[in-house]
Amino acid sequence: MIFEKRTERIIVPIFFMVALFVPLFLDANSFFVGKVSTIIIMSIFVMSLDFLVGRVGLITLGHALFYGLGGYLFVILSPEYEVVNFWVYTFYICIISALIALVIGVVVLRTTGIYFIMITLAISQMAFYYFFDSLKYGGDDGLFIYMTPETSIFGLSFLNLDDPQHFYYLALFSLFNTLVFFKVVLRSRFGRIVEATKQNPDRTEALGYNIFAFRLTCYVIGSTLGAYAGFLFALQYSFVNPTFLSWELSGTALVMSILGGLGTIYGAILGTFTYEGLQYFFEHLTKEWLLFMGTAIIMMVILLRKGIAGYLEKLLEK
Amino acid sequence: MTTELFIVQVLNGIQYGLLLFLIASGLTLVLGVMGILNLAHGSMYMVGAYLMWYFVTVTGSFTVSAALSVTIVLSLGILIERVLIQRFYNRNHLDQVLLTIGMIFVFNSLQSILFGNDPYGVSVPDALDGGIPLTNNSTYPVYRIFVAVICVGIAGLLYFVIGRTRLGMMIRAGESNREMVEALGVNIKSLYTIVFAFGVMLAAIAGIIASPVSSIVPGMGESVLITCFVVVVIGGMGSIKGAFIAALLVGLISTFFSILMPSMANMIIYIFMILVLLIKPQGLFAK
Repeated sequence: MIFEKRTERIIVPIFFMVALFVPLFLDANSFFVGKVSTIIIMSIFVMSLDFLVGRVGLITLGHALFYGLGGYLFVILSPEYEVVNFWVYTFYICIISALIALVIGVVVLRTTGIYFIMITLAISQMAFYYFFDSLKYGGDDGLFIYMTPETSIFGLSFLNLDDPQHFYYLALFSLFNTLVFFKVVLRSRFGRIVEATKQNPDRTEALGYNIFAFRLTCYVIGSTLGAYAGFLFALQYSFVNPTFLSWELSGTALVMSILGGLGTIYGAILGTFTYEGLQYFFEHLTKEWLLFMGTAIIMMVILLRKGIAGYLEKLLEK
Repeated sequence: MTTELFIVQVLNGIQYGLLLFLIASGLTLVLGVMGILNLAHGSMYMVGAYLMWYFVTVTGSFTVSAALSVTIVLSLGILIERVLIQRFYNRNHLDQVLLTIGMIFVFNSLQSILFGNDPYGVSVPDALDGGIPLTNNSTYPVYRIFVAVICVGIAGLLYFVIGRTRLGMMIRAGESNREMVEALGVNIKSLYTIVFAFGVMLAAIAGIIASPVSSIVPGMGESVLITCFVVVVIGGMGSIKGAFIAALLVGLISTFFSILMPSMANMIIYIFMILVLLIKPQGLFAK
């Protein structure tokens, strides 16, 4: 069983069961189906960050770089007035993002601790200003996508990405796969060594493992999935702009993953839904929702030391 | 580039760098001495500037407003340290990031509730409103010189306090061995409160003296925060001297690039930081 904890075995099935039926109860074209799709995409992004920060120990404040990269790559690569294939472009975007992550990883993984936080931040800020100041890529207005990709495989097409309901299931399917993927990776021999590099780098190195190679591999995996999430988001709203790359997004994602319970992977879903839910609630309550949001975050970091997942585990684990 | 333009840019760069130093020194002090990663440090710069604007509009006096703003921020610093920061000395950097992001949200929303979201400006006080002739037909504003002088004065004071006084000795000792200092009978709790409040005050002073030369807008805290982190990292964490030199370098580089290569102006300091870290992974003046 890839889900080791009792809490996961309860929370994960409940979440996906409920999520499967959400569009059926709501009007298919309603605002909510789109909104929940967005939160699901965000969960994928936060999960990839949670893997890097909570499991590999790479505290990055520049994860939004890959979110933006996924979005921008899609728009830049696809021809303007031609329908492209979704699966083919998913493949292209993931491969190119992985290569870019590899190059950046080689540079940033030379540093550790606060310096790692800062260098990842610096690189994402560079990308932010590159796109912000570039006339070619639309500057601060960003770029628009005119054609929705089609999704046929071997001539068979069963997904229509223009349909919010179909898109919703694509996002949910992606989230489920991401979760299972991370769980399988972390259960494997590779995952165990990664765990060891986090807990005691010196001993792991003494055992003959190349820590740098393990960290780099993880950095590439996490970043690529982050880029995939950005690609999905760009697809949903048909545009991409520099805010995709902003450090505020990296910070918010970090807040979500800590809120959910750092390193728990499934906690990313809890953290993202709680954060977005609270924000939605406060936004509709008052114009000054930021005040309540800030206060809620401060209260939670003081009271919930291990995040929501940590709290649930305290209740459910024997 | 003419000599005249060159001189003006050098002066602007130095003045901008000195201002950055004022904010970054508080950041590096809190990080180096207390191990607190305070993302809300930039908010204090914003608070300083907004308070200054408010008091100048109400009282009309530059000096009185500056004094009032500094006092309020100092008390705010003590309050924040006592109520929130104190709980986080033994928590990791991530929890501190979460806490201080929450604080940024609160400060930004208080700013919009109390002062609104319009951009504001403070006029230069009459006594400093003038120019020093550079060449026959150009002048350099006296106020900018005044800003630089204040910053250099504070830098000197900081150097003296940390290097030559008893308080500075305790701060330096607390940085290298907290338990030992405590065992020797120093009240580390109130020492930390003092350091935090002074760090925050330095950021607010920067906001106050910069208010006549830069516009007061929402989000001003965050943009200056990231630049100051770049300064702290280039200089080496916890090093005041490093922060000083790094701030001047960053100030000069970004001023010159905004004239010579505007398209690179925003990116250049990050490129510079990455280059520094590749050569010296701990910053220029690491301990």
